[in-house]
Amino acid sequence: MTKMEPKSEVEESNRMWASASFVGVLIVIGLPLWWKTTEVYRVALPYDKINTFTTLSHAVTTELTVVANDDATADQIVDNIKKEFEESDVIKLNIKKFILPDGLRRTLDSVADDQEAVEEVAGAYDLKKHNTFYVVQRSQLYQDVWLSRERLAFFKDATASRTLVEVLRQWVYQTSVLEGGRLEKPDVARQTRFPPGEEYHVVLSVVHPKPDALAVEFHAEDAVEDYIGSFVDELSELHNFTLKSQWLYLLDFDFQAKEVKDTSEWGRHFAVRQERLQLMLTRLEERAAPQVSSRPTVNLALYLLPCHQAPLLIYDNNDKPIKSPVQAFMSPKWGGVVMYSPSAADCRAAEPTSSPDVRLIMGTFLAQLRTLLGIADTPSIEGAAAAALRSVRARRWELDALLRLRTLEQLAAAHAALASLAQLLGEISNIVINDEVGASINSAVKSIEAAEELLSKDLLAAYRLSLRAHIDAETAFMEPSLLALLYFPDDQKYAIYIPLFLPIMFPVILSLKNLLLWFRGKAVHKEKTE
Amino acid sequence: MSIYRLFWIIFISAYSVVRSDDFKEEMYIKPLPPSHLYTYFQFITIVNHKSTEHSHLSPRSLGEVISRFKVDELHLTLTEGQWRHHQWGYPVLDAAPGAELYAWFATDVDDIDTQWRKLTSTLSGLFCASLNFIDNFNTVIPQMALWPTGAVKPIQNITSQLRYASLPREIVCTENLTPWKKLLPCESSRGFSALLNSRMIHNTKYHSIGVHVRKICANKDCTDTHLEIKQTVALVYDYKIINSMDWSFRKLFGQGLPGACTLSSASTIYVDVTTNSSHSFKLTPSPHRILQSQRGASETEFAVYDIHNNGEMINIGAKYDSKYSNNMTVIIPPPIYFNRYVLGYGKEFGGIVTELVNNYMTAIDVVLLENAPWWLPIQLSSLRVNGEANNKLVIAQYFSPGRNRQKPYHLELLIKLPPRSTTTVTIDFEFVFLKWQEYPPDANHGFYIGSALITANLPTAKQYSSLPISGSTFDSIINASKPWYPAVFRTNGAMVSLPTPDFSMPYNVICLACTVVALAFGPLHNICTKELILKPVGTPVSLTQKLMNLLKRKKD
Repeated sequence: MTKMEPKSEVEESNRMWASASFVGVLIVIGLPLWWKTTEVYRVALPYDKINTFTTLSHAVTTELTVVANDDATADQIVDNIKKEFEESDVIKLNIKKFILPDGLRRTLDSVADDQEAVEEVAGAYDLKKHNTFYVVQRSQLYQDVWLSRERLAFFKDATASRTLVEVLRQWVYQTSVLEGGRLEKPDVARQTRFPPGEEYHVVLSVVHPKPDALAVEFHAEDAVEDYIGSFVDELSELHNFTLKSQWLYLLDFDFQAKEVKDTSEWGRHFAVRQERLQLMLTRLEERAAPQVSSRPTVNLALYLLPCHQAPLLIYDNNDKPIKSPVQAFMSPKWGGVVMYSPSAADCRAAEPTSSPDVRLIMGTFLAQLRTLLGIADTPSIEGAAAAALRSVRARRWELDALLRLRTLEQLAAAHAALASLAQLLGEISNIVINDEVGASINSAVKSIEAAEELLSKDLLAAYRLSLRAHIDAETAFMEPSLLALLYFPDDQKYAIYIPLFLPIMFPVILSLKNLLLWFRGKAVHKEKTE
Repeated sequence: MSIYRLFWIIFISAYSVVRSDDFKEEMYIKPLPPSHLYTYFQFITIVNHKSTEHSHLSPRSLGEVISRFKVDELHLTLTEGQWRHHQWGYPVLDAAPGAELYAWFATDVDDIDTQWRKLTSTLSGLFCASLNFIDNFNTVIPQMALWPTGAVKPIQNITSQLRYASLPREIVCTENLTPWKKLLPCESSRGFSALLNSRMIHNTKYHSIGVHVRKICANKDCTDTHLEIKQTVALVYDYKIINSMDWSFRKLFGQGLPGACTLSSASTIYVDVTTNSSHSFKLTPSPHRILQSQRGASETEFAVYDIHNNGEMINIGAKYDSKYSNNMTVIIPPPIYFNRYVLGYGKEFGGIVTELVNNYMTAIDVVLLENAPWWLPIQLSSLRVNGEANNKLVIAQYFSPGRNRQKPYHLELLIKLPPRSTTTVTIDFEFVFLKWQEYPPDANHGFYIGSALITANLPTAKQYSSLPISGSTFDSIINASKPWYPAVFRTNGAMVSLPTPDFSMPYNVICLACTVVALAFGPLHNICTKELILKPVGTPVSLTQKLMNLLKRKKD
């Protein structure tokens, strides 16, 4: 027996070492190797930074200068404005106050025309700077507050402070629209305007369903270049625009209009129901080829009604005609349609010829374009008036408002895209993040940080950075390489793993128990012998 | 207000310029005795103004593609069927079966390969065709075979700006015709395009739709250029399909012609009535005029109809004289025709044979372009012309070897075809094993080899119906005698079957190998790590052992 003991011990230790080497090959080397080779490639991402961004913390700092005739008025106005905007978390006002110099005051009081007064103020103060606004007292005013086309508003006296605050809140700073820009759920204005972008294509399609029955004198190219061109030139700091025009002939749309007798020159009009018009967009999309543009396209369509369908009136849901000089409608994030009826005299001629009123048509398109590009409408305020849009240009303070709105919206959108991507990455382990996507995520994060810092200093630079961030975040989110492994199904993976791993790993894992016991026993044994 | 007045003045003066975008529609009908009828439509839009952003009659979508990718000239055809040059003579424009695209880019384009890929993907979306499968690995740069048909500056290095690709597997159907029709100003509601009823035109032996964009000279000295967009449809009807030799619009297209397109400046139908002498037929209604044309030595007679937009339904038809209908016809083959087929057996080696027949009495120089995909490597060393390696007929040759998954094999030969002879060009290829993901769906169907291109300057206009290079409308064909007549032909394609594996094999192998490994592992592990111990009699028996014993006893 004494001879047998060491032999069986040697055998046992051989067995145990064999068992240990199985464990070593399969678990110590094999498992990490398998883990490493089947790993989904992901670049390290700044998750902590992405998660610490909060959309609601973004606020724009803007400069407001109050210029009054005397110190008391200035103080009262400033106090009122401060009180109103204290609680706003989208806009922070940096208010300065000045007393109007005597010379300028006298000029302002003597000048009758408001526009001339604006020019006088422009001579004394710099109205060209972005993200600034001037409130100047002018006693010779018909209303309480008058808002010019420049970055300037006049107020009558201290009693007008209530109206002035309203004008600032609703017209100049548009706090409710700004707040809507950064919310997760889009408000009405955001549902209507185009999503932020670097460049837009504006395409005017002139639809002429009956070229043989009606000759039309309309120059689409010049109309686009003259009217829309000078409008979008003003917006060139925000977006690039490419203007295009095309003619679409013989595109018939069945309005299903009802003939109604009336007392007009025609003695009739055609009533088309509002909900029918939506179908027209599909018909237009077929031929207008918006999909070939490499950028988002704002579609403007001028539908030249043939004589036998003219004049056409749009009826609302209550079966009442919509009173307007131009029959037009707009489709959110798509564009606008103007339906132009030739006059009765044009159609009665031997060779019907119509020359549409370019100013009227293009004016309608511009109004639609303003909304589609994000320039908010101004609700009416009692005692306040805004200078009319005389030319096609946008008002200066509208541009500033748009700049603030787009900056906040782009920051919010970029942040939302990154946050959802981070969340998706957490939920779906199969998503690949290659170096390119990683780089654009990192650059988006950096741009967001830089833009946030610049929000209080340089709005234009902040806008550009936020646009960069938005584009980077969107490209990262939309990158098709993310989906490279998404459709590798789990059941197939297990179909391969189970026949191999189950029969092999079972005995190996079960042998672990014996192995551990043996090692522990050996250690105890060693201690005993010592 | 003065600005507006000025604007109005500009407007009125500019009005006449811009409105002169010109659109013409033409149709050419030629009986191909004894059993076929060729109809060819062409819709020509000439764009006179420079700005591509504003379009009038030309399609904006195409204009935008052309200007964005700076394309000087573009030819796209989508074809189903095979044109039989031997029987039918020559078409107005030849096209390879499947999809074929070639384009010249402007000289200021630096990275042509990238632009080419972008262009193909965009056109793929525009025409719903699989042109996005065009990549570097199936694109060649023809050196001798293709020349621009439009106006180019003489000093320009033309071939480096050119890219050519064909997709012989592409199947052409209604979904390509619908976007093609949308490019026309009259779409499919009016004019000749109303005849293009997809139900009828896909019921033909051969149909091909095409878009050809080129620059044409605006004046005699060619100091200015206009853009010409030509959309074509070629159809070959088989009399067997329409059930009679007598044809009419109603039989061919399912309906009559509802007048001209309102926007076209000319809508003309030409019927080739040259064969009237041998196969007498009568056209109804009778043509508006008859045009005689002498081109080289061949005489052609056209019956011409000028179509107007007056709301009349026009149904042009031909009625054959019944006593001649059983006439035997002798097919006179055209000056050059060709045939192409694949040689070899097994899955290792094969060969492509191209036979070129010169039927004319003088020698004709032709350029033959063979374009073999990378998975069909051809070797220049195996090139034989009439069975000889260094045949004197070959005047010049260009060979660009392919690279796996990157570049196709490209061979161009300038051959002098002797009079009244057949020249055979043979080249061998090997079969290549593809990676299992590179096989197309239905891999056992076989793999298509694209057509070879044959470019010839024909010395005779016999059976030749192409327009002269400077002409854009069909009337330019009348008396257009030239010293030679340029033509580009496509041979028939071919099919090979590559070694194709059983695609479920990898999975089966994985499962089998795993099972074998698992089966082997169990005993191995047991032997290595377990010990057999003798059990003394009388030791207590566990519950499982009792059960086992019970089973054993029952068996016994």
